[in-house]
Amino acid sequence: MRRLPIALAAAALLTFATGCGSLSPPGENTAAAPRLVDARPVRDGGIAVIGLKSDPDKLDPSLTGTLVARTVFTSMCEQLYDVDRHNRFVPQLAASLPKISDGGRTFTFDVRRDARFSDGAKLDAEAVKTSLERHLHLRGSGRASEIDSVQKVDTVGPYTVRLTLKHPDTPLLGRLANTAGLIMSPKAIAKYGSDFAAHPSCVGPFKYVKRVIGDRIELTKDPLYYDADKVHLDGVVYKTITDGNIRLANLRSGDVQIGDQMGPVEVRSGMGDKTLQLLNTPSLGYMAVTLNVGNAQGIDRKPGRVNTPFARDVRVREAFDLSLDRALINKIVFQDMYEPACGPVPPGTPLSTPVTCPGRDVGKAKRLLKAAGVRTPVPLELMINTTPEDNRLGQVIQAMAKDAGFDVRLRPTEFATGLTRTLAGDFQARTGGWGGQPDPAGNIDSLVGTTGSNNQGKLSDPEVDRLIEAGRSTADPAKRRDIYRKLTAAINRQHAVIYLYRNINYAVASKDISGIALSGDGLIRVKEAGYVKGGQG
Amino acid sequence: MNPVVRLLTSYPGRRIGQALLTMVLVSITVFAGVRAMPGDTAQALAGEQTSPEVLSAIREEYGLDHNIAVQYWDYVRHAVTGDFGTSARSGLPVLDSILDALPITLELAALALLLAVVLGIGAGVVAAVRRGRPEEWLANAVALLGMSVPTFWLGMLLVLTFAIAVPVFAASGFVPFGEDPVENLSRLVLPAIVLGSGLAAVVMRQTRAAMLDAMSSDYVRTARAKGLSQRSVIGTHALRNSLVTVITVLGLQLGQLISGAVVTEQVFVLPGFGKLTIDAVFTRDYAMVQGVVLFTSGAYILINLLVDLLYSVIDPRIRLGGSR
Repeated sequence: MRRLPIALAAAALLTFATGCGSLSPPGENTAAAPRLVDARPVRDGGIAVIGLKSDPDKLDPSLTGTLVARTVFTSMCEQLYDVDRHNRFVPQLAASLPKISDGGRTFTFDVRRDARFSDGAKLDAEAVKTSLERHLHLRGSGRASEIDSVQKVDTVGPYTVRLTLKHPDTPLLGRLANTAGLIMSPKAIAKYGSDFAAHPSCVGPFKYVKRVIGDRIELTKDPLYYDADKVHLDGVVYKTITDGNIRLANLRSGDVQIGDQMGPVEVRSGMGDKTLQLLNTPSLGYMAVTLNVGNAQGIDRKPGRVNTPFARDVRVREAFDLSLDRALINKIVFQDMYEPACGPVPPGTPLSTPVTCPGRDVGKAKRLLKAAGVRTPVPLELMINTTPEDNRLGQVIQAMAKDAGFDVRLRPTEFATGLTRTLAGDFQARTGGWGGQPDPAGNIDSLVGTTGSNNQGKLSDPEVDRLIEAGRSTADPAKRRDIYRKLTAAINRQHAVIYLYRNINYAVASKDISGIALSGDGLIRVKEAGYVKGGQG
Repeated sequence: MNPVVRLLTSYPGRRIGQALLTMVLVSITVFAGVRAMPGDTAQALAGEQTSPEVLSAIREEYGLDHNIAVQYWDYVRHAVTGDFGTSARSGLPVLDSILDALPITLELAALALLLAVVLGIGAGVVAAVRRGRPEEWLANAVALLGMSVPTFWLGMLLVLTFAIAVPVFAASGFVPFGEDPVENLSRLVLPAIVLGSGLAAVVMRQTRAAMLDAMSSDYVRTARAKGLSQRSVIGTHALRNSLVTVITVLGLQLGQLISGAVVTEQVFVLPGFGKLTIDAVFTRDYAMVQGVVLFTSGAYILINLLVDLLYSVIDPRIRLGGSR
C-alpha cells in the first residue's frame, strides 16, 4: 500500500523534471478550454509553414492510412462531407446531406456544380462515381472495407449520385465525412492510375506542387477553387518535424507558423510564450487498455479460449478496472492536459450521453479477486509502446494495480512488432488508442463486435453484437442515442476494453497568423488562414 | 607482365577490388538486416486499420511474398540499372529522394569537415607550440568539451541561442546554394558547428600529439640548427610530417561524420541522408533504407579508398604493396 504513493511521487517528479526541461516556464496547470477558431482579420499573401508530427504516407485518398495525410488533404482534397466544430456532418463537395430511403438501403445526394479539380477537370456525378469506385476496387485500397456496404454507385443526373447499399448502414455518412469521402480528379486517375500519389489532383483551396520525402510537401493557392476568394495565403508548406521540442523551437523562432498534434509537455511550455497561441479540441477517439479475452489464434479467426485469469473471469477484469484512477493517471502522466474517459462515444458529439467514470475502489477490487478465487498477486503482462509517455502510463498502471493484488509486468514493444503480436493474439494486455469518428459506430463496431476487424482482444458478447446491429440499422438520432448509451454500458460490463483517457488535439500557432480552424476531428484547416496585419509572410 | 594483370595486382587495383567486394557484402548484410527486424513489414506499412486484402496487395506490390534470395536478386538486378525501387510509404521513387538528400548531407559534411580541419589543426598547432602555457590549457579544455557534449543538446542550445534568443540564424530547413548562396550558408552554419565540433576536437588532439612528436625529432632539431625561422620549422617541417597522422584520423572519422549527421539533421530539420534514413527505418520503408544505406556505405568505402591511396602521395616513404 505504501509503494503506490512512492511510485506516484516518483512519476510526478519525472513529469515535473520533464516539464522543467522545457523551453519556458509552464503555463496553466490544466488544459485550456476548447478553442477551435482564431477569427482575427487577415491580409492576403504569404506562405504558412505547418509542422507535422510525422511524414504522411501516400498522398492517395484510396491508399493512405495515416491521420497526418488527412491533415494535408484538408488543404488540397475536399470530401463529400465534413465535420464542423460541433461535430455535425455538413456538406463539402456534396451539395446537401444525403436522402436516405428504401429502409436505409439507398443514399442519394447532389454534388456542387461550381467546383473544378486542380487539373481543370470538372466535378460532377461521374467524377464522384469514378472516385468511389476506385476506393472500392483499387487493389490495396484502405477504403474498400470502410464502404463495403456500397453495392453500386450510379449517376442519376449530371450532378446527382445514388449509392445502393447491400444492407442498411447509417454510419456510412460518417465514413463519407472521412477519408472515404475524398474525391480525386477523374482525369488524374485515368492518367496516373495507381501512381496518383506522385501527382495528386483534387478540389481544394491549395494544389500540390512538390514533395520531398521526410521533409516537406509544398502546396500553392489553386485559382480554380470554387471558394478561392476566401483563400488568403499564397501557399502552404507541410514540414515534418518529429520531435516535439524541435517543433516548438521552430514555432518560437518563426520558421514554422503552426504546430500540429503538440504533446502535453510542449503545450504547457508553449503556453508561457506570448508570441504563440493555442487551439485545441477534444479528440473523437480514446486511449485504453485492451485485454485479450478471446484472441487465441489471431484476429481473423473466431474467438477462442485464452487461458489467463483475465480471460476466464470478468470479475478479475472488473477488479483491474477498479484499481485504476483515471483522473490521477491524467494528472501524473499527461499533466492534466487530457481528459479521463470511460466509454467509446466521445462527449460533445450528437449521439453521446453523459457518462460518469467509476472511481477507484481498491477494497471492492480485492473482494472481487477473492470471490473469483484467484491467487494473488494476479500476473499480467502489459504491452506498451516504446514512447516516454506510454512508459509513464505503464508505470502508473503498474503501481495502482499492485495495491489491488495485481503483478503487472511491462513489456515495451516497438510499433510494428507490437502490432504483429497483437494481431496474432500473442499478448495479454496492451495500451493503445483509436483516432475516432463522430459517429459512435466508428469507435465501436469493428473494435468490440465479434466479427470486428479491429477487435484485438476478441471480445464476443451477444448483447454487444445485438446493440451494434441495432445502432447500424437505425436512422432516428434519438433512438440511436439510446442504443449507444446501452451499448456503452454493455461494453463496460465486460471490462475487456478499459477506456482510460481521451487525447485533446492541440495546435500551437504563431500569433502572426489567424483564421486557422480546428474542427471536431482534430484536423487543422488553413483554408481561410492568413497573416494578420504586421505579421511576416 | 600483362598491363591488366599488373593493374589488378597493383596496390590501387587490389584496393579497388576490395572496395567492390565490400559493397557487395554490405548490400547483402543490409538486405538481410532490414528483413530480420521483428514485426510484419506489410502490416507496419498498412497500419492497424487494415484488411487481409490490403496486406496481400502490399506484399505482392513490393515483392514481399517472394523468398529473400529472389527479393535480393530482383533488387540487385534493378539497382545496377539505377532503379532503387519505389518508397513503399510515399509511393515516390527512392532514387529521387536520395538525389534530393545527397547534396544536403555532402554539403553539411564538407562544411563540418572544413570547420574541423581549420579549427582542429589550428588549435592543435597552437597547443603544441605553446605547450605548458594558458593557450594549450584553453585548447585542451575546448577540445574536451567538443568531444563530450551530446550532439542533440548542443544543437538545441545553439537553436535556442542563435535562432530564438538572438535570431541571427534560421532554426531549421535548407535552401539550395544555387537558389540563394547567403541563405544556404546561414542555414548550414549552426548544423556544421554541431557536426564538426566533435571532429574538430579529435583533430586538435591528434595534431597536437603529432606536432609534439615531430618537434622533438631530429629533423626539426636539424632545421632549427640550420637557422630556419620558427614559421618555416613549424609549417614546412613539423606540420607537413604531422599531417599523415591527421589525415588517417580524418579518414576514419569521416564515417562518423556521416552517421553523426543523423542526429544533426533531426535537430535542424535538414532533409539529408540522416533524416531520410531515420524516417525510413521507423516506417519500415525497405526500399528507402536499402537505397540510403547503400549510398552511404558506398561513400564511406570510397572515402577510405581515397585516404588509402592518398597516403602514398603525401608521404613517398609509404609503399603499401605493389612494386617496391
